[in-house]
Order: sequence, then structure tokens, then C-alpha cells
Amino acid sequence: MSTTIILGAWIAVFLTFGIFSYLYKDNPFYKTAEHLFVGISAGYWTSLFFWTQIQPNLFGRLWPSSNYSSDSFWYMIYNGLGFFYSPGFPNGGVDKGHEIHNVVLGIPNIHYLIPFALGIMMLLSLIPKISWFARWGIAYTVGMAAGLRAYGFLNSNVIGQIKGTAASFSDPNLPFWSLTSPSIFNSIVILVGTITGLLYFYFSKEHKGILGKISKVGIYFLMISFGASFGFAVMGRISLLIGRFVDLIKYSGSEYYNATLWILVAMIIILGYDAFKNRGNNSSVSKDAA
Amino acid sequence: MIWKRQIPILIVAVVGAITLFGWFIDQPDIKSFVDDDATQWYDILASFAIILGALNLIKLQFQKVAKKKKGWPYSLFAIGGFFFAITAGFFIKSLDNTVVWGAHVTTEGTLSKWIFDYMFTPLSATMFSLLAFFVASASYRAFRIRNFEATLLLAAGIIIMVGRVPIGSMISSWFIMYISVLALGIGVNSWKKNKMITFGVVGIGIVIVTIAGFLTGWPIDQPGIFYLPILQEWIYFYPNVAGARAIMIGIGLGIFATSIRYILGIEKSYIGE
Amino acid sequence: MNGLTELILKIGKVDRRWIFIVLAIVVFIPILVPIGMPIRATVTTKVVYDTIENLPPNSNVLVSIEYSPSTKPENHPMAISILRHLFKNDHKVFVTCLWPDGQFMAQDALKQVAKEEFGKIYGEDYVLLGFRPGGEAVIKGIVSNIRKLYTVDVNQTKIDEIPMMEGIYKFSDFAFLFTVSAGFPGTVEWVQYASDPTGVPMSSGVTSIQVNEVMPYVQAGQMKGLLAGMPGAAEYEALIGQKGSATSGMDAQSIAHLVIVLFIILGNAAFFIERQRSRKY
Repeated sequence: MSTTIILGAWIAVFLTFGIFSYLYKDNPFYKTAEHLFVGISAGYWTSLFFWTQIQPNLFGRLWPSSNYSSDSFWYMIYNGLGFFYSPGFPNGGVDKGHEIHNVVLGIPNIHYLIPFALGIMMLLSLIPKISWFARWGIAYTVGMAAGLRAYGFLNSNVIGQIKGTAASFSDPNLPFWSLTSPSIFNSIVILVGTITGLLYFYFSKEHKGILGKISKVGIYFLMISFGASFGFAVMGRISLLIGRFVDLIKYSGSEYYNATLWILVAMIIILGYDAFKNRGNNSSVSKDAA
Repeated sequence: MIWKRQIPILIVAVVGAITLFGWFIDQPDIKSFVDDDATQWYDILASFAIILGALNLIKLQFQKVAKKKKGWPYSLFAIGGFFFAITAGFFIKSLDNTVVWGAHVTTEGTLSKWIFDYMFTPLSATMFSLLAFFVASASYRAFRIRNFEATLLLAAGIIIMVGRVPIGSMISSWFIMYISVLALGIGVNSWKKNKMITFGVVGIGIVIVTIAGFLTGWPIDQPGIFYLPILQEWIYFYPNVAGARAIMIGIGLGIFATSIRYILGIEKSYIGE
Repeated sequence: MNGLTELILKIGKVDRRWIFIVLAIVVFIPILVPIGMPIRATVTTKVVYDTIENLPPNSNVLVSIEYSPSTKPENHPMAISILRHLFKNDHKVFVTCLWPDGQFMAQDALKQVAKEEFGKIYGEDYVLLGFRPGGEAVIKGIVSNIRKLYTVDVNQTKIDEIPMMEGIYKFSDFAFLFTVSAGFPGTVEWVQYASDPTGVPMSSGVTSIQVNEVMPYVQAGQMKGLLAGMPGAAEYEALIGQKGSATSGMDAQSIAHLVIVLFIILGNAAFFIERQRSRKY
């Protein structure tokens, strides 16, 4: 097994136990792992988004290789950028196969200058005096998301769900009672549960009398739903824990020089020694709201 | 002021209206803009927003180090990690340099992939799996049956938790029937508060279940309504869906209303108002 | 009896770090010493299986991977099993990712299943289009014009040069969509912006946390079945007859669930005893 893989395994185990050590109490191992996570995530996402979107889809449209000309002022700017960072701005333009819809003032797909300008404004907003620069780009994304979601949620989450709640009482093939397959009884359960659950959230009238009784039934259905959600939440978390333990067991093998065992023993000794030294003081237990 | 306030509100209104009505307009140029270019612009701006977020994060870490705030040495790890990932993303592909720039962030054998496999993956996976311990602790310390609604919640949760895993299919429905008889006894006791009636109900229940069991030969999965996998299937697909659907319709209407508020310029939280 | 109530009260006040240790042990031991409990497929899992089984031969299937390593134990076995099923039935598989990490997960899954197990040819039997940021906008782009969104695949090869991309221009050119999802953007967005507007059937594998969020779509027929968390992945492995990591995790999952139920019962027993005592005094 190569050195880089073994080194990687030891680092992975150290970081895993570092995060798990939070269960004992907040400690330097956890803080180190947490801060590393922050830094690495930021760097990794920056490079990934640059290489998967900005370079191919923005620069690939503004400076396509199919329109390259060394005399063009626009491509001189490109060559200048390439002088500073050649991998991102390869010689002869960016070749990603994009169509050229227009060429105005020597600039292909000139309308893509708009997201480019808005994007640069977003990055410039890091300077405190011009932090408002980001608002234009954010406004674009907010506006588009609002337009998409207004339709999407109304169509699928409201109309689609109302359609799904409709019960067929006249279908001769539908049995009255069946536990796990469609039946009239089950259709009534869904119909009653959905309507009473929705009425629970109707606050324009006080929940008294008949409305009070109906909303009480609605709460019971909602509680069953929340209970099921709780059950699934437990299931999900335990699954993730199983995944971590499987990896730790893999890295405890001799091909990884028993990384798990050595790092676990080392951490227990260090944290135990620290607890022994501070046994007179009130040591802080992990302050998570359980 | 117009640049900081009115222009962003105008952008939201125009872009939002075009996107919303674009679902219903068949005019080719508008449709092409809404479906293709506008979407691409959104993707590009989303990328810039993520990069802005990442840079902002690192700016805060730098400020912490510069001002020597509490815990500043740990910020050095954050900054170091950031530059290490940037180096792998922009300057060092791999040892043999055969991978194309752009594909190197996802190809085997590159430094980016090494960081992903041995640093990013263990960190993110372990952060999530910590919650398993806190869920167990919360179940033990906070989950209390204070009223009927909490009992329903608990019962549904337990049935789903046990019924959906293999061990649920190994628990006989007759065991669940006995548990149900005991639960009925507890319910009768809290209602009537009479020990004789309680013992009577529980006793008769146990006798009926035992006789039925002997007569039918104790099949593990009959009656179906007391067999955990079948019971959880019914709860999962019917009453649970009813409650979830009520919430979904409510949220759907709320999101529709909020989106219209953004487009009409009534909601301005994205500019801090 | 007094001794038992005192013991329950004592357990009710125990430091939560002991609970952590107990949970760690009950999860760890069944992984090392498997019990091999039988897996019973549920209705929603069977519907997914039947839908894929009944796809016309040589169908173009879009598989979207949107999960990260944090939910790998739940989602990765689903992706692997679905790919196995699709390749076994010789369908053409197109893979996209709405999450950046999803691209790595997709590569791992395709390397294991398409390359090593089935010997499928990249560009002819399967293609990894890769990740694009933008969430719902990406889905909208795929629905209207996939070639504008993806001009190159993950290896930077032009889409026009990939043989199996012939005839694929938009979402409705696919026969089926399967999404392996862990949050936003994911299953919900595919239902809202792709499947519902176009009528192309879809199904999904989700993390356990998301199940309740998407169940109404399944019940309304907007999705054809659902793989719910690791148990759903294990059920699918049982249906295709090839055990994987989900099956091996089910023993630990079962025991852990029983222990948590025990914790709930113990906690409530301590609560009731305390309440009775405080009422008495």
C-alpha cells in the first residue's frame, strides 16, 4: 500500500477521533479538527466551483477558442489573464464547445458580461465600504428562485397533493379494508387526516366547539407524523454512525499499521492525563443541548 | 441609495416576474432566455456566491488571528487548510501531471481527490454521525410521556424504529398483543383508578390472547395488525402521510405567498430590511 | 421493589457520557460479529424494483447523485444497487450531480459497478455528465436543453463527441429518472421541476431524515416508490440478490434501535417514579 494512502488513513483516523472526542468534552483535538474542516471546505468548494462552472461556462462563453484572434483587444485581456494563471486561461481560448450567439465589439456572447460583472461585484463586496455590491447578484438569484419556487411549490406541493388526497369511493375494485394496499378505509384515513391536519393550522377562527374537536383530531395525525419523523431521524443518525465505525475498523488493519488503535490509545492517554491534572477544577462537559 | 436599495428590488421584481411567467409563455425568444441563458446566469452567480462565502469565512479567520482573539491559534489551522485545498485545486494537480486541468478536481490520483478522501470525507461524515449520540441522549433524558399526544408520538416513533429494521420481523405479533393488553390496563387504571377493574381487564385480555394463540398455533405474523412490520407499513403509508401532507400543503402555500411577496417587492430581507 | 425503583431513579440521573459509551458498544459489536437477520422488503422498495424491472429494453435512464460522504452509509449502497440493476438489464445510464461531492460519489459508484463488475464502456453504456451548481436552475436547464448546460462531460470531453448522447437533448428524452438524494437540491426539486411538468416517471432513494418530506409524493403517485434510508438500501440489495454494505449494517441498526427504545422506556420509568413521589410528598 502506498505511503500517501497510509498517511491519508492515519490523518483520517485522527480527524475522526478528534471530532468524536467532543463527546467527552470540548478539547484541542476537536477544535483543531473543526477548524481544519472549515478551512478545507472553503478551499475545496472554491476550486470545485471555479473549475466546474466559472471557467467552462462563463470564460468558455466569453473567450471561446473558436473565435480566438490574437489581434482582438478582448483576447488581449484574455492573454493577460493567462499570463498570470495559464491553467485557467489556456492558450488560444477556452474550448468547451459553447455556441456563439452574438459578437458585439469583438466580444462573443456579450450578454454574459452581465453575470460576469455581477459576480465580480459579489467578490468585491468583501471590501467593507462596498459591501452593498453583492446585493445586485443576490437580488438576481433571489428573484429567479422566487419565480421558480412559486410555480414549483404550487403545482407539486399543493395541487399535486390535493389530487393525491382525493378518495375514490365508487371504484368497484377497491376493497373496503386492507392494511397495506389501497382500500376505502385507507383513503378515508388520508382524507380525514389531511383535512383535520390543515384545519389545525387555520388560526383565523378560535379552536372551540366543532373546530376545536376537528383540530384535536388533526393534532393526533400530526403527532403520528412527528413520531414517524423521530423514528426516521434516529434511523438516519445510527446509519451514519455505523458508516464511521466501518471505516475505523478498516483502518485498524495491519496494512494501515493499526492506525485506529494507536491513535485511540494516544488520545485516551492525553485526555485522561489532562482530566487527572484538572481533577480539582470543574471540567467543562460537552455543552451540547441534547 | 438608489444603487443600494431600489435597483436590487427592481432586479428581483423583473427577474422574478420573467421567471414566473416564463412557465406559461411559449414565445421562443423569451422561453429560450428563461430556460437557457437566465438559468446559466443563475448557475454562474450561485458559484460566485459560494466563492464569496468561502472567502468571507477565511477573511474572518484572518481577522481573528490579526486581532489575537480567543482561540486564534486554531484559526491558523483553518487558514492552513484553506491554502492547502487551494494549492491542490489551482497549482498542484498530481504527481504525474497527466490529468487535464478542470478534471483534476474529481479524478483519482490527484491531490484534490486525496484531500477529499482522507480529510474532507472523514470530517464531514463524523460531524453528522455525532448526532447519533445526541439523539440517544435526548431520547433518554428528554422524551417524556406527559400527555396523550406525546404518547401517540412516542408509540409511532417506536413502532417505526423497531418495525422497519430486521429485528422487527422477528418479534411475534402475540408479544405485541400482550404488550397492548398491558397498555390497555394502564389506560383503564388512569381512567377508573380502581385496581379490581384494572386486574380484571388485564386478566381477561391475557386469557383471550393466550386461548387465541393456542387455537391458531402462534403464527409469528398473524394477526397482521399486531405484526410490527405490517403495522409500521400502515402507519408509514397512511396516517403518517396524512400528517406530512397537511404540513406540505401548508408550507407550499406559504412558499408561494412568500415568493409573490419577493417579486412584488414587499419582502426585502435579502437587502437586510 | 424499593431497590428496583431506586435503581431506575439512579439510572435516570446517569451522566450522558455513559449513554454515549453504551451506544458506541452496541453499534460496534454487531459490525464485528454479524448476526445475519433476514431482510424483508417493504412495498415502497418493491415498487422501485418493479418499475426498473419493467422498463423497456435499452432505455435511457437518468441517475442523479446528490449526496455527500456524510450520508454515504445510507445513500451509497442505494446508488450501487440501482446501478447494478440498470446495468444488469442493459439500460443506458446518464449520471448527473446537483451536489459537488456527488460527483466523487458518482465516480466511486461507477468505477465499482460499471467498470469493475460489469465491464461497461464509458461513452457507450454510461456517461458521467458531472456536477453543475445552481440547484433548481440546473434541473430546469436539463428539462429544457441539456446540451446548453453540459457542453462537456466530467472528463472535459465535448458532449457532441460522446456516442450515447445522440438523440438526448432534454429531460423528456429519458425514460426514467432515479435520484439518490440527501437534501437540497434533490428529490423534491426533481419532482417539482422535472417529473411533474414533463410526466417522465421518477423514483428516489433518500436518507431516513428526508423520508417524511417525500412520502406524500410517493402516496400521490408523483414518485414510483422510494428507498428509505439504509433499511431501504438493504431491502433493495435483497431484491436484486446482491448483498452490500447496507445489509451488513442492518444488524447494528436493529440492536441500536432496540437499545434506544430501552433508553426511552427507562427514562420514562424514572420520570413516572419521580412524579409519583413528588405527588406523594
